[in-house]
Amino acid sequence: MLIFDELKKNDPQLRAVAIVLAGGLLWLLAGLWWVQVVSAREYQSHLETQSYRTIRIPAIRGKILDRKGRVLAEDRPCYDVSLYLDDLRDQFREEYARLRPVRIVTRAAPFWELWLGAPSVVTQRVRLAQSQMDALTWQARCAVAGAVAARVGQELGRPLTLNTQDFERAYEQRRALPYPIMENLDPAQMARFEERDPGNLGADLEVLSERVYPQGTTAAHVLGYLREDDSSAEGEFAFFNYRLPDYRGVVGVEAGFDKELRGRAGAAEVLVNNLGYRQSETVLVPPEPGHNVVLTLDLDLQRAAEESLARHLGADARGAIVVMDVRSGDVLAMVSSPVINPIYHSNSPAYLNDPKLRPQINRATQQNYAPGSIFKPVVALAALEAGLDPEALVDNPGYVYVGRRRIRDLAAPGQYNLRRAIIHSSNTYFVTIGLHAGAANIARVGKEFHLGERTGLPTRQETAGIFPTVNIVRRASWRPGDTANLSIGQGDIAVTPMQMAVVYAAIANGGTVLWPRLVARIEPQDPDRGGPASVFPVGVVRDRLKAPSRDLELLRDAMLAETEDPEGTGHAAAVPGLHICGKTGTAQIMNEHNQEIGRTTWFASFAPYEHPRYAVVVMVENGTFGGTTCAPIAHDVYEAILKEERAALPQTARDETHHRNDSHG
Amino acid sequence: MKRTIETIPMVDASIHAHMSPLDRLQLAALAGLMVIGTLFVYSATAANPAVADLPWFDQSWFKQIVWYALGVGAGAVVCAMDYHVLARWSVVAYWAAIFFLVVVLVPGLGTVRFGARRWIDLGPFQFQPSEFAKLAFILALANFLSRPSDELRSPAAFWKGIGLLLLPFTLILKEPDLGSALVLLPTGLVMMFVAGTPKRYLLKLAGVVGVLAALFLADVLFAPPGWWQIPVESYQRDRLLVYFGRDYTDFAPPNATPADLQRLRQQQLDDEYNVRQALISVGSGGLMGKGWRQGTQNRYGYLPRAVAHNDFIFSVIAEEEGFVGSVIVLTLYAVVLFTGLRIAGRARDRLGKLVAVGVVTLLFSHVFINIGMNIRIMPVTGVPLPLLSYGGSSVLGSWIAVGLMQNIHIHRKGY
Repeated sequence: MLIFDELKKNDPQLRAVAIVLAGGLLWLLAGLWWVQVVSAREYQSHLETQSYRTIRIPAIRGKILDRKGRVLAEDRPCYDVSLYLDDLRDQFREEYARLRPVRIVTRAAPFWELWLGAPSVVTQRVRLAQSQMDALTWQARCAVAGAVAARVGQELGRPLTLNTQDFERAYEQRRALPYPIMENLDPAQMARFEERDPGNLGADLEVLSERVYPQGTTAAHVLGYLREDDSSAEGEFAFFNYRLPDYRGVVGVEAGFDKELRGRAGAAEVLVNNLGYRQSETVLVPPEPGHNVVLTLDLDLQRAAEESLARHLGADARGAIVVMDVRSGDVLAMVSSPVINPIYHSNSPAYLNDPKLRPQINRATQQNYAPGSIFKPVVALAALEAGLDPEALVDNPGYVYVGRRRIRDLAAPGQYNLRRAIIHSSNTYFVTIGLHAGAANIARVGKEFHLGERTGLPTRQETAGIFPTVNIVRRASWRPGDTANLSIGQGDIAVTPMQMAVVYAAIANGGTVLWPRLVARIEPQDPDRGGPASVFPVGVVRDRLKAPSRDLELLRDAMLAETEDPEGTGHAAAVPGLHICGKTGTAQIMNEHNQEIGRTTWFASFAPYEHPRYAVVVMVENGTFGGTTCAPIAHDVYEAILKEERAALPQTARDETHHRNDSHG
Repeated sequence: MKRTIETIPMVDASIHAHMSPLDRLQLAALAGLMVIGTLFVYSATAANPAVADLPWFDQSWFKQIVWYALGVGAGAVVCAMDYHVLARWSVVAYWAAIFFLVVVLVPGLGTVRFGARRWIDLGPFQFQPSEFAKLAFILALANFLSRPSDELRSPAAFWKGIGLLLLPFTLILKEPDLGSALVLLPTGLVMMFVAGTPKRYLLKLAGVVGVLAALFLADVLFAPPGWWQIPVESYQRDRLLVYFGRDYTDFAPPNATPADLQRLRQQQLDDEYNVRQALISVGSGGLMGKGWRQGTQNRYGYLPRAVAHNDFIFSVIAEEEGFVGSVIVLTLYAVVLFTGLRIAGRARDRLGKLVAVGVVTLLFSHVFINIGMNIRIMPVTGVPLPLLSYGGSSVLGSWIAVGLMQNIHIHRKGY
């Protein structure tokens, strides 16, 4: 190299110095290579941990829709006014400078400065201890933030004061995030805020999303509710510095399809400076919106069912209604009363925990009830299979002994065949044929209906009910008295309204026990993105009854008579133009002293008789009789069904149906 | 020179260089450093809102340009006088510098900044006498050592040389300015070595210095609390502890409460802060850097704003321009240093050679200590990076040093 040439060969000292210098520079070069090239990644990660804050951004939660696409639950944007602390830093500084105490002193300036006209009296900052400076800084921050809040409040016509403690906590812990000073603006406030002079206020709108249930409390139990929960789901990043509010379903469809509804949370990182103020924001992973869940519920029918229950018995009625399509298993309505607000925190704790109302349980699926007389058709099927002659007469003296307990038969004394026994719900007749058929036969048929098992709804609010197995009834501990009790739907049996809907649907459709279907399909929110919808199959068969169709027809005829016949117990359900097959039930609830403390009243039914399409089960806790308490409610539900069916038909077909039904009646 | 005549393509350049009174290669490298200095002083200060509000002529980058201009002027003035004349005045300059070093220690005359009394307030600007004391020392020592080498063999001459070194060294150490004091040691030793001081003296000296330094470090780093400790400034002790990776808690008194220990740990973190942030800046720059004014460490204030544009300017360069930028800076310094050695080699006499060697060693020491502290090869001492760090005294001092080298180049052999 040129610059080395001049080093004289005969000057060893200078050469030694050159070598030392070269060595030193190479040492630096090697050090820099080590730090900047070899270990660059390590320092990069140091830099990231100290200057980036990651934020979990929840995805837009999917909608819950009824079978016709009407919205039952959805996320809507809501707006807060938030302080952007990073924009307020200059104001913090200015305020601090203003607050800082000064003193006025006479300066001993060098003489030349005084000649040049420099002032001899100057203001001088007072020296402060670190703790005083911290307190002053904090005072300045609160003053600035408070002034901005007051200004926003003034502009929006709602006085706002800053909660300094909360602000301090947010400043210490979430400095890189906006600090909300006014939440949930209404449209008028939004407009005012947008129209104001867009100066550097340091506060701006922040868009969040909130879950709304546009139908109010309709289908509240089916929908379930959400709880605030911002933890990471499986397969997400586990570590975040900050998490924006997110929700998780606790029960109902919100819980059962939480994974599909919530989508995939995204992640953003905020670059912060050495004081933790936000400098810029990058979205690392955009959130993927959740999928919509389309239910089989029919909003009109659901609403009609809820209204009929409330109209007859009031809002505090404790009852349930299930409407099911007997051909497909689709749940068209599922009502549980009393209702809760799906916005959980808006229910008062006293109401939620009321021991009598117990509004949180879904009475259609979550509570065991004695079926009483509506279980009798199952007993009839067992007896017929065991060789019962439906025309054989049983004498009813007006009471029957169940074990050592004598119970009244509400059916008038006299001779009863199967048809007449169903119409009048004769306990004597069913105890007799039940004992004749034997508990094992009843248990076997009940097993075909899958009583005592869950119906598999995805709402996380199901009880299995109680039903004796064949093994249990064969034990010595099983007494004929138990069989007699079972034959009239009492004793070791408990069902849910949903289970009974499945039973009556099977009797109606010719013996197919279906899985009830509550969710029709799950589809992406944006139909162009997110892949195809996944459809749940219709009419999934769970079991088939062994009973011949002749036996089922017999039951259907008898049940038709129960509502059509003016003397039938279920006559109150009859709707002109629709042939309804029904069965009433009234189960007494006894305490340990064998005294009645309550009644579970039922009306289980299906219609139309000719080609059954709907099963309707109404249950009311503490009613009087199934026929008087529940049948009128079922009547209203069928009217709503009829109205809807007619509305769905074209005009000509509508007239025709009307005409044909009339001629039949 | 012989080789360049043999290789034809180099002839022109060589003759041209030979004809030129100044070492143009060195000046070109210095110009490059000044461009980089301006750019990065700007980058280091532009992110500071307090600075950004100032009018442009009050901002550091512009002031730095003014200092460059003044520095080049001062260098030209130094160049204009034959260095033999300067050497004759060197004794006066030396004692004047000693005088100012004493003056600066007098409370009321020296100004205290960042806990050290290093500046003399001259109204519109502050003057740091240690910067000029270094140059006066080089001239005086070169003048002293340029006597016939036989005379240097006597112990008396050796001790006189050591005395010349120790006087400013002690005074600067007293300010306290450890960095500026330390750079005098290699400068003086290398000049004595090149002048032909017998090796046995130098080896003994190096041995004594080494043992003393080892004892000093051992006492600072390992003496348990309660033992006799060398009185050093607490921040200097802390810097050494940080550099050698010692835990502060080891020095806690035996009855220290957990709160005390926690406070010590926090203090250690605070003290390590500059070094850690500098290292993160340099390391995260990677191979190519983040781009001018794009360094997040610098822009978002992780690198303390008070030092980013002066003592830690190299961190800013390394973060924003990466290893490539570091290599460019090192190359420019290498050019300046080796052209300086070439000037020493071509010097007309021993005086010129010694002055050039002294200046080169002084600049090298600055570069090595400053860049070394950015990558934790050296402990933190407030040594500026010549021509890149913001600061008037440093720029002026560097340019006067360059002026001395160029002066020797002008009066070189055969010209």
